[in-house]
Amino acid sequence: MVVCATLLAGAGCQSGASVLVDIRVPRPLVAPLNAHVGVYFEPALTNYVHRESVDGKEFIIDIGASQAPVFAQVFDAMFQRVVPMRPEALGAAGDGAEADAAPLAEGAQAEETATLMPFLPTEQDAGEVVGVLAPTIEEVQFATPKQTRSEFFEVWIRYRMRLLDADGSVRREWPLIGYGKASERNHANQTESLNAAAIWALRDAAAVLAFEFQDNAQLGIGPAGPAGQNGGKTP
Amino acid sequence: MKPPPQQHPRLVRRLAGAAAAFAIAFLSGCGVQSTVQQVRQGPTNLGDDAIVILSRKHKTQSETENDFVACVSGSVNSGEGAVPVLTERHFMDATFPWFEPRTAPLNMQDLTEVLGRPIVASRIREIGVRYLVWIEGTTQRSDETGTLQCTVVTGGLPACFGFLSWENGANYEASVWDVHEGTSVGTLSSEATGTSFVPAVVVPLPFIARVQQKACAKLSDQLKAFLAPV
Repeated sequence: MVVCATLLAGAGCQSGASVLVDIRVPRPLVAPLNAHVGVYFEPALTNYVHRESVDGKEFIIDIGASQAPVFAQVFDAMFQRVVPMRPEALGAAGDGAEADAAPLAEGAQAEETATLMPFLPTEQDAGEVVGVLAPTIEEVQFATPKQTRSEFFEVWIRYRMRLLDADGSVRREWPLIGYGKASERNHANQTESLNAAAIWALRDAAAVLAFEFQDNAQLGIGPAGPAGQNGGKTP
Repeated sequence: MKPPPQQHPRLVRRLAGAAAAFAIAFLSGCGVQSTVQQVRQGPTNLGDDAIVILSRKHKTQSETENDFVACVSGSVNSGEGAVPVLTERHFMDATFPWFEPRTAPLNMQDLTEVLGRPIVASRIREIGVRYLVWIEGTTQRSDETGTLQCTVVTGGLPACFGFLSWENGANYEASVWDVHEGTSVGTLSSEATGTSFVPAVVVPLPFIARVQQKACAKLSDQLKAFLAPV
């Protein structure tokens, strides 16, 4: 190990990498939709850790801690008012009979992902929300320069964004993909490169989400209105 | 009794080769040649505003090195004819999410569309940026020849013998966009090539052609001249 550290100082010993991704994104420069929404970040999201073995080397990407701050920042800019929500006790959840029959954009996985946990606002004077936004991570992938024969570490984060009714039923869901890459040449070792790629992936997801909806109708929470200042942007 | 191995002639040859390489490298200053070109498409008038120097990050191929962008930003921002420069990170954060790798405008039509949004135009005015300088390009290493072998000799000391050389080529292009007018005002390019040597007789002596630094210095000077009031 000492020999390795001496000979490959700065380049690492190519023994895998473990990164704790810790970022905050700036407040997106978008015009907010006139809506009052709730947000819920489930523990599976905020504790998400991706582990993968590549060529016998262990790679760990801990991205859970950054999820709530990033999404909270984006939602806060996207909507007039955002209220954190908490689920009622699991035992109080419905048996599924009250699940709304509203059409789902991506329909197929609704039954799997619907938790049917009624949500309550965490603030006293929260008022009524038009829906609860609850992102989940479906999958994280990464690639090393050796795998792609390039100079880049790459990270993909595939989210499933869900708009829930207050009773926990899924009103709408859609995919969101964040992609980031970082050149080996810009970083001292593979841990730094992988961390940078993961940060860019989170930032990319936040950017795309901020552009996602031009009016309440697109999100499924109200009638169509004139396109806002975000209108027409196709990232 | 076996005769001792005849190491002296080989050692003399290696020393002579290293000396020759040293002389060539020293005399030629590692032989960095550079060229700068410029195409002006419109007038510039920076006034009290600043510029921001950005690298393109959307391509799947090579990406401009962060240290090159930092070098150009630092050089343009200092010395004679210094120009105020906002850092890439500051600008990207201030305009988030409009200039991210996947969302940044790629041409003037895209830029016009982005600047057509009052919320973005207002922020750019607020941070006082007049020109965006998009940098593309990289420094590449090629044509490596020779060998260098290191081993542990008597007494446990490491020693290297041989001779390595390679070509370095830096090729960068800067496109200057006027965000007030929504137009492209010009393109500048900087190329530098040079040969690096590493002769080694026990101790390797690297003579590196600093092509990236040369390309940075030339491009920075050219940018200052390009943006200077006429």
